[in-house]
Amino acid sequence: MASFDTVNYSLRPSKTIERQLVFESVARLRACENIDLSRQAYIGLGSVWFTDFNLAHRMLRIEDMVSIEKDDIGFKRARFNAPFSTVRVFHDDISTLLPSLYRDDIIRDRPWLVWLDYDSEFDESSRSDISSLIEKSPENSILIATFNAHERNYGGNASDRPDRLKDLFGSSVPDDLSKKSCKGEKMQTTLAKLALDFMTAKSIDVGRPGNFIEAFNMPYRDGSPMVTVGGFLAAEETTEYANVVIQNQDWPCMPNKPIVAPLLTAREASALQSKLPCNTGLTRSIVQSLGFDLEEGQLEAFEKYYRHYPSFAQILA
Amino acid sequence: MDLKDKKVKANPTKNFFVRMITRDIGLDDCILDLIDNAVDSAWAQEGSQPSELSSEIKLESYNIHINTTKDVFSIRDNCGGMSLTDATEYAFSFGRNEDSRTHEYSIGVYGIGMKRAVFKLGSCIRIQSTVVEDDETYSFLVPIDVDDWVSRNDPVWDFDIEEAEDLAEAGLQITVEKLAKGTASSLKNPAFLEDLRRTISRDYSLHIQQGLSIFLNEKHVEGWSLELKSSDVYKPAKVTYDDKEGASIVRVEIIAGMAASPPENPGDSESQSNDGDRKDGWYVACNSRIILAADKSKTSGWGGDSLPRWHYQYAGFIGIVLFYASEPAALPMTTTKRNIDESSEVYRRARVHMNKIAREWIDYTNRRKLDIVEAKSLEKAAKPVNFRDLANDQDSEVKLPPLKSTPKVKQANVLYSVDQKRLKKLANELGDINMTYRDVGIKSFDYTYDDLVGED
Repeated sequence: MASFDTVNYSLRPSKTIERQLVFESVARLRACENIDLSRQAYIGLGSVWFTDFNLAHRMLRIEDMVSIEKDDIGFKRARFNAPFSTVRVFHDDISTLLPSLYRDDIIRDRPWLVWLDYDSEFDESSRSDISSLIEKSPENSILIATFNAHERNYGGNASDRPDRLKDLFGSSVPDDLSKKSCKGEKMQTTLAKLALDFMTAKSIDVGRPGNFIEAFNMPYRDGSPMVTVGGFLAAEETTEYANVVIQNQDWPCMPNKPIVAPLLTAREASALQSKLPCNTGLTRSIVQSLGFDLEEGQLEAFEKYYRHYPSFAQILA
Repeated sequence: MDLKDKKVKANPTKNFFVRMITRDIGLDDCILDLIDNAVDSAWAQEGSQPSELSSEIKLESYNIHINTTKDVFSIRDNCGGMSLTDATEYAFSFGRNEDSRTHEYSIGVYGIGMKRAVFKLGSCIRIQSTVVEDDETYSFLVPIDVDDWVSRNDPVWDFDIEEAEDLAEAGLQITVEKLAKGTASSLKNPAFLEDLRRTISRDYSLHIQQGLSIFLNEKHVEGWSLELKSSDVYKPAKVTYDDKEGASIVRVEIIAGMAASPPENPGDSESQSNDGDRKDGWYVACNSRIILAADKSKTSGWGGDSLPRWHYQYAGFIGIVLFYASEPAALPMTTTKRNIDESSEVYRRARVHMNKIAREWIDYTNRRKLDIVEAKSLEKAAKPVNFRDLANDQDSEVKLPPLKSTPKVKQANVLYSVDQKRLKKLANELGDINMTYRDVGIKSFDYTYDDLVGED
């Protein structure tokens, strides 16, 4: 069953936060006057919801957009749901479509913002899609990939996982990758690091003239643990400028902790929000004084991301 | 025309020279060259001698630290340093002077390693040495700004030498900044760094077993250990003898045999998700430094006059050949220390022994097809032995069991293709996501057979 039949994308607060952070970061790069991203084109897996496409158009004013959908019914629904006239939906496999996108009259030779937002785990086919994009994307493109980080997808037995990851990510994986780093909470961080190392190694290996600058490293979780990784495929002359933007302390897409947003009712969220921003930090006693209670971790996450915390009534309107 | 007193100019320019010596060597080999220098110094400190496999641990007090960032490469060691005389007279001249001294049993032959390495790495170089001589400690620094040096049109190719503070221990420290473009991108490449770690782990495995510590970006490099299987029916071959290259004696030690069971289905090499035969083949070491690894080419005899080309069927075979000579020029290696000098007669004579052992192995892998069940059970019973422990054994021929054909049940081969994603998911559910495709096929057959047919 395709994932759009099982998940209503709008109901995942961590995902919503992650998505907003991604587009906010891209906006920062676009604001840099030495990097011309004004003609950026968006390529994604819009599914039937097109949430990312909406943000790309509304927040970044990107016009030319491509959505890829391989499911038969999904394709018809996607075509029906395409939110703007400039969204083209292709009924194809990513790997078969990519070569024609590199030659596409509308978007070739323009910077791309590609987001391969897979629901599934990183596997041989996502690896070949990412490799191809690193090799052939136009310069100044941004490449982002999201995949499932559930440990079981990389081997039912923890002891099989290091070998599986070596198989997937190749020679940049240290020989002594431990079973421990492929278990529990560590698995997300491990996967993100290995995927980014893979992308860096690939970009150097294929001799891209600019650098691949790591810019996205966001583990997050609503139900299943997920990982979003990616970077900027700089041109030779934009490398330094992009470095300055991305290495800024408050670049939001490399948080030091996974994004795990608490599930709050609209009433709870707005009550908490009314106390923010707050110099001393939200405490449980503040929450208790509001008439309910939350765990410390939930509070910390809310305080960090409240500006991006979804208010569903708005989105569904 | 008066040609008297006319001469054709043939002086090399520095620029040409720098480009030429750095062109045909890889960055990894350059880094290994610097490690070689440190290793040679360490051996010199210990009194040079051949470090045969069976010899005692000698290098445990020595360490080498290699650090890389996107802007700086550095290597430092506590292996005794370079004396002032060595620096002023030998180490920086290009090519060895006829009267220069080489460390006995060293691996630096041509006096080009360090210069070539630092020039390849970058253009702002600082070489600092601290030495203890006659209970006195002194230090000096040789700074090289390559661009400046190349642009100066001096007929003399000297470098400056300065006083310097003492390093923490007697040793050498080389720092390179203004990295060359290719160097900088490689040092940023996580795959390059992991591969470098693997290469160090393999090529210095004999030194690491002797106690030497090497750190790459402050993480200890674990030595690679080679094991061969042994039991009452399997025994690795061991051959030792002295050979001669000119006036120099070259000691030769060969150990080879079964490291793992050969593959069950040799046609399967494409679909292997494990290491396959990556580590198999011949290893050749010169004064302990491994210069040829896992070789399955004509260099080590495969596909030459005496042996067929390497085939996946032969996987499981590992052999190591060690050459020791007090005069490194007598060793059969090329200047990059990445390959055998096949014109060396010492090497060609060793290859006769190597071929003989390999031939026994080839015959065994053919023979075992006749009674694969028996072969597998015998192989399973053999225990791995570290090759250092084998070094103490007497010379012997390789021992492999004779196997005879048994009456065969008629076999059917099944071949089909499925979606790779689905295969991986099934492998995971069958208990091992890394299972070979073939095993997934067999397991699914057994599972269905058991379900639908039941007992035979």
